[in-house]
Amino acid sequence: MSETIKVKSAEMQLLEDKMTMLVQTGRIDNLIDLLAVLSDNIEMTTQPMIEKMINSIDNLATVGFITENAVRYAKREMTKNDVPSFFGLLKLMQDEDVRRGLVFMLNLTKGIGKQI
Amino acid sequence: MKKKILIVGGGTAGTMTANNLAKKLMPEIERNEVELAMISDSKNHYYRPGAMYVAFQKAAGHEFIRDQRSLLMPEIDFFVDPAIEINVKANYVKGKSGKRYDYDFLILATGCEVAAERIPGLAEGGDWFYSYEGAKKIAEKFAKIQSGRILVTVNFPKTPNVPHQCGIAPVETTMMLHDYLTERGVRENVEIVYTYPTKAQAVENGLFLQSPTSKVLPTVFDSVRVKHETGFTLARVDPENKIAYSEEGKSISFDILMSTPPFQAAKVIRDSGLSKALDNEGWLPTDKKTLKVIGLKNVYTLGDTVDLPVSKAGGTIHNQTDIVADNIAAELRYGYPTESYDGKVIAVAQMGLTCGMPLWYDYQEDVQPTPCSKLGSFMRLGFNKGLYWAAARGML
Repeated sequence: MSETIKVKSAEMQLLEDKMTMLVQTGRIDNLIDLLAVLSDNIEMTTQPMIEKMINSIDNLATVGFITENAVRYAKREMTKNDVPSFFGLLKLMQDEDVRRGLVFMLNLTKGIGKQI
Repeated sequence: MKKKILIVGGGTAGTMTANNLAKKLMPEIERNEVELAMISDSKNHYYRPGAMYVAFQKAAGHEFIRDQRSLLMPEIDFFVDPAIEINVKANYVKGKSGKRYDYDFLILATGCEVAAERIPGLAEGGDWFYSYEGAKKIAEKFAKIQSGRILVTVNFPKTPNVPHQCGIAPVETTMMLHDYLTERGVRENVEIVYTYPTKAQAVENGLFLQSPTSKVLPTVFDSVRVKHETGFTLARVDPENKIAYSEEGKSISFDILMSTPPFQAAKVIRDSGLSKALDNEGWLPTDKKTLKVIGLKNVYTLGDTVDLPVSKAGGTIHNQTDIVADNIAAELRYGYPTESYDGKVIAVAQMGLTCGMPLWYDYQEDVQPTPCSKLGSFMRLGFNKGLYWAAARGML
């Protein structure tokens, strides 16, 4: 009858030592529980849940994109131009983008008003 | 003097690159030394991979279409004006409106388009999911089929070592089709036959364009009862009798033909005289490292327009866009490009409706197939339906 000799690699020995430490200190129970919770969460997550969650993240990213761009743009314009006079302010309103932005802000307040 | 950078094309490649350039060149933009402009043939941005979900009734389509202006930073001037002429000697692109767009640096990101007319009978007898119109049409057929045969065919460009759009898509959709028909309860009565051409880039008589994946596919297909046959290069289709004929002399009848049709570069590229591709396919000769159009000092290209051997897909563009942006920024600052593309492609393949397989490869290493998982599918879904827009905006 032939005898099988199994040689343990250094990596396997290291892993065994670390696992032994986890078992001896009782930490293994919590880690197993944690893995079980992770697994349960994956199991219970559905595609519609992912879609709704990612949609919320996309909305936040969109708000971040618009806000960051607008602040940078406004700062640049402020640096380039002097503070306008009253009539200068009115002149700004001739710009279509300014008017679009203003209408958006007004509608934004309406949208908030509808919810409070 | 102010330098002008012109981006032609408002798809994934153009949009990502425009935003990445605006971010990288912000100091120059603030000093009024650089101007960025984009021209596109559409006011809308279409995320093409979304069409695949439309084909299987998992999305309506509108989720993947957005106003292009909403995806661009305000530093980028955007014009809806289809490009009709590229003049690389005088450094300008002419729009359909007659307007001339001068440039110091040009980025050609005009993608590719379905050219079903290159196969006789395919436009009339075949279907595909590579456009939203095509996906809606095939979705209706998938929803109605009760029994019969669905034939999958794949055509490659005639130009050697250039792939069709999204190399893994035929495999993905075959697996999704199996799941979809199983969901509908008709899978037992519908035969799926996956075919692949004799020559697919470096692979001959395989089922995929890279050898390691090609070798595991028979086992994968057998496990879901998908019949598979290599050596079938679609040559013509008889739409009346619903028969597909191959260059190798075989014929297969079908009820639905789900094809990966021939593709070609955009008309403005094909008409430009810049391409040396066979059959007037229009792929741009591209330096595999710098991503410059070979022979032109100030013209870059990326995405589906190139003649590189890597996949024509978003996961490729995401790795090319920073190379192009960095190289143009470096040329403006130091006078020479500094970055080199290694051929990296990163994606998650949708191997069925609920299983995703992360994959990556480059010029040196092929994809190493791994088992797909539910988490992988969540990653893919999350990217397609949300994170993509952040990536297009240059946020990730």
